[in-house]
Amino acid sequence: MMPLSLADMGEEKIIMKVGGSPEVRKHLETLGFVSGCPVSIVNTFGGNIIVNIKDTRVAVSRGMAQKIMLSD
Amino acid sequence: MAIRIALAGNPNCGKTTLFNLLTGTHQYVGNWPGVTVEKKEGKLKKHTDVKVTDLPGIYSLSPYTPEEVVARNYLTEEKPEVILNIVDGSHIERNLYLTTQLLELGIPVVVAVNMMDIVRKSGDKIKTAELSKLLGCPVVEISALKNQGTDKAIEECMKAAEGAKPVPQHTFSGPVEHAIAHIEEAVLHDRPEQQQRWYAIKLFERDEKIIEKLGISEETLKHIEEDIKKAETEMDDDAESIITNARYEYIGTLMKKCYHKKNSKALTVSDKIDKVVTNRILALPIFVIVMFLVYSLVMMPVPMPWGDSLGTIMTDWANDGVFGDEGWYLFGIGQGDYDTAMDEYAEKNIWTNEFKADIDKAVKADALGAEDISGAIEDGSFSDFDEAYGTYSSSLEEYFTENNIEYTFTDIYDEATGEDAQELPEKASYGVFVKSIPALLEPAFENAPSWLHGLVFDGIIGGVGAVLGFVPQMLLLFLFLAFLEGCGYMARIAFVLDRVFRRFGLSGKSFIPMLVGSGCGVPGIMASRTIESQRDRRMTIMTTTFIPCGAKMPIIALLTAALFGGAWWVAPSAYFLGVAAIIISGIMLKKTKMFAGDPAPFVMELPAYHLPTVGSILRSMWERGWSFIKKAGTIILISSVLIWLGNTLGWNDGVFGYYEEFGDDGLSILNAIGNAICWIFAPLGFGEATATVATIMGLVAKEEVVGVFGVLDFKGLAPLAGYSFLAFNLLCAPCFAAIGAIKREMNSAKWTLFAVGYQCIFAYATALMIYQFGLLFTGSVNIIGLIAAILVLGIICFMVFRPTPKSHKLKASTA
Repeated sequence: MMPLSLADMGEEKIIMKVGGSPEVRKHLETLGFVSGCPVSIVNTFGGNIIVNIKDTRVAVSRGMAQKIMLSD
Repeated sequence: MAIRIALAGNPNCGKTTLFNLLTGTHQYVGNWPGVTVEKKEGKLKKHTDVKVTDLPGIYSLSPYTPEEVVARNYLTEEKPEVILNIVDGSHIERNLYLTTQLLELGIPVVVAVNMMDIVRKSGDKIKTAELSKLLGCPVVEISALKNQGTDKAIEECMKAAEGAKPVPQHTFSGPVEHAIAHIEEAVLHDRPEQQQRWYAIKLFERDEKIIEKLGISEETLKHIEEDIKKAETEMDDDAESIITNARYEYIGTLMKKCYHKKNSKALTVSDKIDKVVTNRILALPIFVIVMFLVYSLVMMPVPMPWGDSLGTIMTDWANDGVFGDEGWYLFGIGQGDYDTAMDEYAEKNIWTNEFKADIDKAVKADALGAEDISGAIEDGSFSDFDEAYGTYSSSLEEYFTENNIEYTFTDIYDEATGEDAQELPEKASYGVFVKSIPALLEPAFENAPSWLHGLVFDGIIGGVGAVLGFVPQMLLLFLFLAFLEGCGYMARIAFVLDRVFRRFGLSGKSFIPMLVGSGCGVPGIMASRTIESQRDRRMTIMTTTFIPCGAKMPIIALLTAALFGGAWWVAPSAYFLGVAAIIISGIMLKKTKMFAGDPAPFVMELPAYHLPTVGSILRSMWERGWSFIKKAGTIILISSVLIWLGNTLGWNDGVFGYYEEFGDDGLSILNAIGNAICWIFAPLGFGEATATVATIMGLVAKEEVVGVFGVLDFKGLAPLAGYSFLAFNLLCAPCFAAIGAIKREMNSAKWTLFAVGYQCIFAYATALMIYQFGLLFTGSVNIIGLIAAILVLGIICFMVFRPTPKSHKLKASTA
């Protein structure tokens, strides 16, 4: 497992686990960040990341990206 | 049949476009009770007995944001006859998550797959008939933007409202269903049958708001908890995640059967734009350029090489034309002719040799403003001359009287421009001249008593006009903002600036309120609404008005001219002061108990870039503009009448009454108040009645400060005290209209008081430091004042540099 913050741009990975406070995790889950779902990084800016998830673009901060774990 | 349709859907799914399409002008905007979430209701254009409620854009019906709570309370308590669920066809998988929740509420649901035109264009396929069968509810294809299929959607809604209640087709895994069945049996048997499943699932998720609402006893809760625990152990996950995952799994199976995507790997156009716009190196320069363009078009207070900004021209028109003394030329027709005629007239009748001789004397003596007046005469421009003369004539007069020099220039001017003047060109006889509001009303009040005339013209029109004068400029700003929002760039600004703003406790979304606030604080504060996190929003509301707004510009301009000889650095320093105040306040407040804790992590959907429609931009502009007019209009009306009363009621020779003017021994109520409390400002260097009255007037509208003061009164102030006065007035409590906006957005009297109190104290501390430390350089140190200033500086440094207290950190992370 590796955090989203370390993934390479453009590569598609599968989400294994979403951490963080229940409130934030719930919000991420409703946006589609659930285990088993593929994600890829579209762009990064100063540690903040734009990802492609279920065809939508979602921006997450670096702190949040460290808590989203992906398959290797 | 009278039915109510609730529009529900994700943010950016086209819900508002559809709502506007369905209701046209039959809509009204309000607030949901108790929260600052906008509530929009309307009637169908074609069936006026059908009421449509536009629910806030939400991703789910969980209890985490006020929008979600508002939406689900409305759905479960008001029970609309039918829910029209708008689903963005280009992001269908994520959008269906909400659909699975809506289907459990026991209310008929019609799913409208929006943006079908885009879906078809990209070559993707959505089998809506199949989807309808699987979901167990009607599914229609629409495009709100192109007005396709919307009639069909409404038709389906009317049919569904009369039809049977839906039965959710998705089920959860065995252990979960088992627990849900138990919960239904244990606590929900007396609820209406079609709502039981919704409540049972929420209880399974341990939704605190629902537990509270149903008033479930501790004992029953324990009983339910056993069932939940059992399911959790069996599934090896927590209850909420089990449900969420199951929903997405179910949607996954739907997708396999009904959705065919052409290609998913290629970068979309939107992605390619993002590669540039949110690029590591280019993002900030692009942002600066965009903002500079908007700012230079709309707000730039000083003329650029290519002329005044459009916004300044519009404000001048509104202030000097519509609310001015005489009026304006329609499209400027006749302005040129009139100017030429006036220039010629002035050359002959005003700028006589005697007149010029007086001005020359004043120029030689370096009297204030003489240079400006003489310059305008040399250029032969009457309009420039008139402006300079209007500002400085009284100070010149004073110079001549003080030095016992005889002068005639005022008599010449008054005679040449007075009512009896011969050949004076009349504005109305050139081009297409439109009379201003005061000029139109003047005849009606010709025989009115002078107090009534004063109340209407000085009180009401003067006060309200001063604020409404900003409306054209504000509308222009809102137009640009609506475009930036509509095309999707605003979300990127928030993304790019988030890391910068994070450092001082604000969010990337705090930038927009501050940008708007540089025009007017009222819409600026209202713009803070888009910030979800309550803490970030409160912080933004408290600090937005530190940025000098349009009404503070005249104060800056006047002080710059009067006390600093027009030095270039004064105006930028005012902005710098505002930005510094925001940063320092942000850092200080972040470390207090009220704002403690890690900032809410940034998670935000970035909608795909697209060209917004003209209609949607205009509507958004107008909605913002209208609520600005309403808010500013009502509060300013009341306060300007009050100030007018304070200015005209008072004592002359010890007799109380209404006076147009007060003699040397006279005293208006406002001045009496000024005298009584001016000692407060003594440590700041301007402890005298006029400056105090000006500050009070600033509460009505900041540009009133200039009105009270006039150029002359500054003579008593040293530049240092003047700058301290400027700093205090820029940072202290904003005008009443803005305070009203703070009250509305904070939705709490306590927080409003705290915000205004903080601003005043911060302004006082800043002005104190400026004045007392400034005195060091002039050599006239006031020991007590200096000690106070050092103490204040020490306290601020401590608040800024102290480590975040541990106890707050812990509390916040467990919350």
